[in-house]
Amino acid sequence: MTDLASSQTENGTAVLTGNKNGILQGVADWKHAKTGAAMIVTAIAILIAVNFFSLADQLKWTLWVSFGIVAMSLSFIWGKAGIFSFGQNALFGIGAYGYAILSLNLFPYSGETLSALVFAGAAAAAFAAALGYFMFYGRVGDVYLSVLTLAVTLILYTVFSSTAGPQYRIGEATLGGFNGMPGLPTLTFWIPGSGSVQLEIQALLIFAIGLAAVLYVIMSYAADSRFGEILSGVRDNETRMELLGYDVRFWKWLAFVVGGAIAGIGGGLFAAWGTFTNPSVFGLTQAAMVIIWVMVGGRNSLFGAFVGVVIVQWIADEADKVVSEQTPLILGLMLILSLFLLPNGVVPTATNWVRSWLGAGKSGSRGEATQAAPLAAPLPASEAASEAAAEPVRRGVIVAQNIAKSFGGLLVLRGVDLIFDEAPVYAIIGPNGAGKSTFFNVLTGRVTASQGSISLNGTDVGAMPAFERARLGLGIKLQIASIFPSMTVRQHIDLALRARSTANRGALIERTLRDVDLWERADDQASDLAHGQQQWLEIAMVIAQRPSLILLDEPAAGMSRQEKVRTAQLIERLSRTHRIIVVEHDMAFVRSLEAPVAMLHEGRVFRNGSFEAVCGDEEVINIYLGRRSNAVSA
Amino acid sequence: MDSLLVVLFSAATSVSTLLIASIGLAVIFGLMRIINMAHGEFLMIGAFTTVVLVRTLGLPVLVAALGGAATAALLGFVVEIVLIRPLYGRRLVDTLLVTFGLSLVLFQLAVNIFGTTSPGISTPFGAVAIGEYSVSVYSLLLIPVAGLLMLAVYLVFTRTKYGLLARAAAQNPEMASALGVDARKINKLTFMFGAALAGLGGGLLAPIVAVSPGMGQSYIGQAFMTVITGGQAFLLGTLASATALGGVQNIVAQLVTTFWGLAALFLTSIIILRFMPEGISARWKRQL
Repeated sequence: MTDLASSQTENGTAVLTGNKNGILQGVADWKHAKTGAAMIVTAIAILIAVNFFSLADQLKWTLWVSFGIVAMSLSFIWGKAGIFSFGQNALFGIGAYGYAILSLNLFPYSGETLSALVFAGAAAAAFAAALGYFMFYGRVGDVYLSVLTLAVTLILYTVFSSTAGPQYRIGEATLGGFNGMPGLPTLTFWIPGSGSVQLEIQALLIFAIGLAAVLYVIMSYAADSRFGEILSGVRDNETRMELLGYDVRFWKWLAFVVGGAIAGIGGGLFAAWGTFTNPSVFGLTQAAMVIIWVMVGGRNSLFGAFVGVVIVQWIADEADKVVSEQTPLILGLMLILSLFLLPNGVVPTATNWVRSWLGAGKSGSRGEATQAAPLAAPLPASEAASEAAAEPVRRGVIVAQNIAKSFGGLLVLRGVDLIFDEAPVYAIIGPNGAGKSTFFNVLTGRVTASQGSISLNGTDVGAMPAFERARLGLGIKLQIASIFPSMTVRQHIDLALRARSTANRGALIERTLRDVDLWERADDQASDLAHGQQQWLEIAMVIAQRPSLILLDEPAAGMSRQEKVRTAQLIERLSRTHRIIVVEHDMAFVRSLEAPVAMLHEGRVFRNGSFEAVCGDEEVINIYLGRRSNAVSA
Repeated sequence: MDSLLVVLFSAATSVSTLLIASIGLAVIFGLMRIINMAHGEFLMIGAFTTVVLVRTLGLPVLVAALGGAATAALLGFVVEIVLIRPLYGRRLVDTLLVTFGLSLVLFQLAVNIFGTTSPGISTPFGAVAIGEYSVSVYSLLLIPVAGLLMLAVYLVFTRTKYGLLARAAAQNPEMASALGVDARKINKLTFMFGAALAGLGGGLLAPIVAVSPGMGQSYIGQAFMTVITGGQAFLLGTLASATALGGVQNIVAQLVTTFWGLAALFLTSIIILRFMPEGISARWKRQL
């Protein structure tokens, strides 16, 4: 607990990272798969315990395992990818119906239902893929997404409830409306030689535990792999991921589909367990359950999903003995209480207790390592010449033609023509409201121009989203440090080296980090860095992308004179190997860049030339001073 | 001719119903960015209060519905202090979860108090004949009532001090607090106002729906889709989306079945959101 408190005070002033600390507590779980060992030990313990279970308990635990699997799918997409979905139980339900429909049709011929279990996962994944396409490729916002998934759950409930009647049948399977589909075959294998083998109650439980363990190991591996790293990046900072060249839509979609497959398998197991399914699997109570399990267990822990199921179901069962049929009341109270008392869930909280109890060595190193480095201060001493020699010169060309942009009815850009192809550094200036930021965002691809064309190194990029432009060599540094608070410094560069071969990855990361003096902090969490170091980290990411052209948004904003000098030095250094475009507001700083200047005014290029020529111009001075000269108004 | 008129009236009633059921949610979401998952239960509480007032005191429905609004506002007052306020500044999803928990609790409490069904109240004012068709007067009356409700909410947010401060605080919280606006007080009022609108909506709908503890759940799906499809202009955007979605729902329902009408509503809104992820009004200049 101490390390959390100290990291919060360190970031007390850091607006960008301060609010994300809550998430960080449990994140360590993902990095160390120690819980994997816990899971295996638990599985073995349960396998031994199974022999002493009553039949009723064996049935109950099989049900809980199927619940645990769907809960794990939510903790994966929520904890890892930051997608909060109400729809996991819908995918669970689709899995259950998928198992029902295929097993009823196929079992009489094949004598097994394993294929139905696989189909359950596939059907749910397919549904998740279709739904995910609309949500992620439509860039539906977080809250909208949770509402949409809830709506989908509710409509599936209505759809399946209204399928009573003989006309609603798929092959041999009648959907059965509100009463659902009874009489399903339980899980059956076809073993060559001995034919169909139907799993009895105890065997089914053992199979379920084995299945859950396998899925858990797969998911843990996915969470710790590069896929998981990318998802963490998306969860922490979507904008930065786009600027690094990742198609955020695709990765979120993929995470959702994977989660859907897992949830579907859980649903298939549920249908095999009960040999029935009905529309209540789509109900609001079931939707609540999945979320409460994950809330209680801890959304950042895959293992926590199973713990959450056991705790919540046990409490619900016990409570039912005292006051019967009050399940929604008890669930609601548990949800509210866990939100206030255990916002990170049982497993991450317990892990933290154990960790701080075993010794607070880690928290000490974190606290002491952070010194208040001013913005842009630690210009690395070692670097310059050697690094410049190693880096090939890549000066990209960007050409903007007749760029216009309007928001609503407001014309912000009215035809900007600018070519950046000669000087190593260009500056774009202009008074407030001149359209600088809009033009910057049109170049980055975060805003699409209403009119005009942009070409990057000869490719027309006007209609391309930001991540595709980044892949073509556009590096972008935003004004406020845009980093991934919960990831280590090393992981940042690892993500930035998007498609580089893995051979010399380690060396590349080390060189990049040494370059900005962050090598010593490589394994620290980015949120623990001082503000200035976070700025450097972002610059390191941009350089690691190997861009040919770097866009800097107001790099001098909020800096002291000393810091501005250092930033200008940095720009000069980068400009030896890259072309740099600086959008800036601070005239003294722009002068120090000694770069050609384009001045925007009222959405047009008003003047274009050397700093002295532009800023010596009387009309330019009038505009900056807010005076209205005849020439301007004419 | 008559049948066309009946279809039009029916569609307009459908739109009005959707609007009445959604407006409270729209106010809370539009101004506080809180998804009030307990919105359906606020509707339900307004409806039950109305039923009780009509059956015990014999009040006219429209008056009793105001009682429903008052009860819901009172509950909103308590909920804001106990559950919402401690969560300001935390993730958006936390307020969603806490109101979700609340909705489960309120549902079960309503079951404990009222049972799973209620006697309900009869639809007042009888029916009127349009040609050979018979149309409920109360359903027709909901059309101007929804219009008046929209007008009243519009006036609250354009003509009252509270309304101006609430919009200012929503659009630029830092500037508003720099100007001395007490955000806590504004949020409390907004939540109460939204809850009151939900309660009033529930009361107004009580005569034409089956009042039961589960009635909230049958409305939240539609109400949520209407509000998020509407987007940032929480009043006019919601009006636009209610018109589009309610219209589609009603026409499909008349052509096929009620169920397919509901399905069409969801499908339409998902398609709209695919192309306008921030809702219909995302690019409007007006943010009301």
